[in-house]
Amino acid sequence: MAVTASARTTRPPTVTSRTGAAAVTATLVLLVTALAIVDITQGTAAVGAPEVWKALTGRADPADASVVIASRLPRMTAGLLVGLALGMAGAALQAVSRNVLASPDTLAVNAGSYLALGVAAVTGVSLPLLASSGIAFVGGLAAAGIVLGLSSLGAGTVRLVLAGSALTLGLTAVTEGLLLLFPRETEGLYRWNQGSIAQTGFDGVLQMAPLGAVGLLGFLLVARRIDALALGDDAARGLGVPVRTTRVTVVVLAALLSTAAVTLAGPIGFVGLCAPALVRPLARRFRAFTRTRASIPVAGLVGAALVLGSDVLLRALVPADVAVAVPTGVVTSLVGAVFLIVMATRVRDGAGAAAPDRLHIRSRAVFLTTTAVLAAALVGVTIAAVLMGDSKLLLGDVVNWAQGRSGRAVTFVLDTRVPRVLAALLAGAALALAGTLVQAVTRNPLAEPGTLGVSGGAGLGAVLLVTTVPLAGPWSVAGAAFAGAAASSVLVFGLAARGGFQQNRLVLVGFGVATGASALISLLIILTDPFNATKALTWLSGSTYGRTFPDVVPLAIVLAVGLLVAVLRRTELDLVSLDEDTPRLLGLPLARGRLGFLALSVLLSGTAVAAAGTIGFVGLVAPHAARALVGRPHARVVPVAVLLGATLVCTADLVGRTVIAPAQLGAGLMTAVIGTPYFLYLLVRSRR
Amino acid sequence: MRRILLTAAVATTVALTLTACGTTEPAADDNAKKSGERITLTDANGAKVELDGPAKKVVATEWNVVENLISLGVEPAGVADVKGYKTWGTAVPLKNEPKDIGTRGEPSMDTVASLKPDLVVVTNDLPPAAVKQLRKVAPVLELRAADASDQIGRMNTNLDLIAKATGTTEQAEKVKKQFDAKVVEGKKALADADLDGAKFAFADGYVVSKQVSIRPFTSGSLIGAVNEKIGLKNAWTVKGDKNYGLGTTDVEGLTKLGDVRFAYIGNDGDKNSTPFTGVLAKDSVWKSLPFVKKDNVHRLPDGIWMFGGPESMGKYIDSVVEALTK
Repeated sequence: MAVTASARTTRPPTVTSRTGAAAVTATLVLLVTALAIVDITQGTAAVGAPEVWKALTGRADPADASVVIASRLPRMTAGLLVGLALGMAGAALQAVSRNVLASPDTLAVNAGSYLALGVAAVTGVSLPLLASSGIAFVGGLAAAGIVLGLSSLGAGTVRLVLAGSALTLGLTAVTEGLLLLFPRETEGLYRWNQGSIAQTGFDGVLQMAPLGAVGLLGFLLVARRIDALALGDDAARGLGVPVRTTRVTVVVLAALLSTAAVTLAGPIGFVGLCAPALVRPLARRFRAFTRTRASIPVAGLVGAALVLGSDVLLRALVPADVAVAVPTGVVTSLVGAVFLIVMATRVRDGAGAAAPDRLHIRSRAVFLTTTAVLAAALVGVTIAAVLMGDSKLLLGDVVNWAQGRSGRAVTFVLDTRVPRVLAALLAGAALALAGTLVQAVTRNPLAEPGTLGVSGGAGLGAVLLVTTVPLAGPWSVAGAAFAGAAASSVLVFGLAARGGFQQNRLVLVGFGVATGASALISLLIILTDPFNATKALTWLSGSTYGRTFPDVVPLAIVLAVGLLVAVLRRTELDLVSLDEDTPRLLGLPLARGRLGFLALSVLLSGTAVAAAGTIGFVGLVAPHAARALVGRPHARVVPVAVLLGATLVCTADLVGRTVIAPAQLGAGLMTAVIGTPYFLYLLVRSRR
Repeated sequence: MRRILLTAAVATTVALTLTACGTTEPAADDNAKKSGERITLTDANGAKVELDGPAKKVVATEWNVVENLISLGVEPAGVADVKGYKTWGTAVPLKNEPKDIGTRGEPSMDTVASLKPDLVVVTNDLPPAAVKQLRKVAPVLELRAADASDQIGRMNTNLDLIAKATGTTEQAEKVKKQFDAKVVEGKKALADADLDGAKFAFADGYVVSKQVSIRPFTSGSLIGAVNEKIGLKNAWTVKGDKNYGLGTTDVEGLTKLGDVRFAYIGNDGDKNSTPFTGVLAKDSVWKSLPFVKKDNVHRLPDGIWMFGGPESMGKYIDSVVEALTK
């Protein structure tokens, strides 16, 4: 409990009068008003400040007036509403969970709504706005329930975000799978997921505004109880406050508010996280803001300022015609990612004892059997992957092909299919090895290239090169991916090192970098190649599409080197992963060894991303499962993890290629669907 | 447990290996030489494409190529997103039932390969890696799908290249002549109706959860170029992209058009594609636009593929002339 006690419970040292708080509120109102006014002067029509003024005073020509009334004002109001709703929801969630990182995004509310809408779309029912927001509400509430349940209220600051972010990844993967499986039914859902406050008329705003009012009113009614919760559950109970009921009420209200925002504008990321965080320093100065009744509306105002500010900023920086294509959600996601990282480096992370795996002592026979079984499985999957696809082949075909005697069709099919199978196998193995190394070095069971943002950075590097030099060769793509991976890992490890490599902070900073990278990838593709959504999906969802033998050569070389180093340095890995002191006592140069292993894992993830896109969770699942199967010694973990990783990605690729053939699903989607429950399971287990 | 796993894995592997023996086609040691004259082409990237003779079995990844093939009398063996083409390209309908090779963005190599095509025609919209892979399957003719600096020239060049590869140059000349005739005819009809130099804007639009986005076809687009060819003046001031000449705008962006004639193509098979009759009908910005007030908004027939070839552009001219002169 003590860990997560937020600033709100500690009494501020300098307490100023009520007038101070009133002045701050007034300033905020002025700021929001100013932003709102600037916002209505921006847009694609030639309606600037003078025309808006005339329209508002009723002297403009009807065309300009209708632009202001039917387009600008609804957009501004939507921004205002969305910001208010998300800011209030975030503040309330943070108060009842006593967790400074709680928010609609980190509780996977948006992802839950997105999936619910996707499922509704697939079933083919066309729904009116209110009914579809009802479905979104149910989905969002369910997701929030899962995350809160897994992370146990008020128990772990960071655990909540990890559970929420992982669930977001998993749910989004399922939804994206639906998008690909049912392209016609779910058309529009992809763009909706980017989030934009643009409106056509006041209809949407008018339908959603009452929900916002209900939320605000509800919060104000339970405000005193929320304040009591800040004292701790027992103290609150002592005051006669029904703890459980209050929590449930607040979560439901917050889900309601975020659903209203999501229905109106799609997911506008991270506002619910940032707004209350910006209010917190104020609460330290002005005592009035320590009360929920004041802090929730103020957080709402800050939220409105964030959304409108992003919209104004975007339109100020890029021409209006381009700005139309850039979703507001991408901008707030970028801002939010930076914010998440800053918060992560400051948050106190006491949960240091994150799940040391139980020491399994396994016999040599168990290790050998496991390896044999896995090797057999890998061979089986590889054979299946080579033979299956849109056209089924038989082994004799492969033999003929290998001897260069196959007929035309078989040669064609295998020439294109085998590189993909190879890319999947090698990428899986490389990611598993990278995950093993990272987990050993950081002694962090949640660390892996995907969750650390290294894969995201690699993807960004690769996309940067591919958009600027369309004909880049495999080596330069691998180089760019490595550069991106290196840059993001320097950022992540550098920031996490400042706090002495706190267990979960590392992963939190990583999640921030991963979010920022995927927002930047979306932005880059919207700005350079707006009519090519496939390109974005390929890099974001991980795919072996279009790979040829030369593309996998860099990966094969790096993997070979990586395996060699891991085998030669297996004892050092064991020692590094043990604890801080033993290697020192033995006189090992710890820092240099760690750096070497990290560099190797970054190289592995970079080349894997270049070959197969950003595939998440493999680096997490494989080493864990390996340790559970054969114990901790790296001489055993490395081969088992690598075999597991290769089998997993190859299976995912095989499924992705065959289930909706001739169309394709990315391998990354499949691994996310498998990896998310596993990640959540690890979180639950480490709670004990 | 472990034993069961072991047995299962080994059994699966053995079973797979056993059932998968044999071949699906005889080992071919001889490469039967094709008769007929060899064809050598230079494609849009300057790459040499060599064919043993006129291609008969052709696979196409983009719908403008599909349309060109149909116009040239070549029935494509494989087409990306057949259902989509049947929705958006009804003006130049498929005459056969080609094999679906997957999405236009990521066509399946496996399916293309299994068709054993003589020629695969792709555009630069396909990722370079995929083109490289297709080259192993069959000779690949890579076209530049669109070029905002000269759309009509690009359209004709593409038709010529496909015609050369399929030995249908005579038919291509006919198709181009028909298009030229349509241009002359359309220009005259418009001039007769006193519409020469009339300000005109063409767009399509999409609704996504009540948000409307509109795609202006600037003078750099194919339809924009055709409009100018028949004497209309493109009213869009939005900047288009360098390939398709398409821009992005929203409803209020339409206010910059002023007093124009406005036309669009939607699709009844895709309910998100007709905002102009749906969501916008009640929108006061839309209703205040001068061309909406004067009832100068024209919905052209569904199924004219807006990025197609000479035949669909000919049909476009017919329909736009009919709409404006009515």
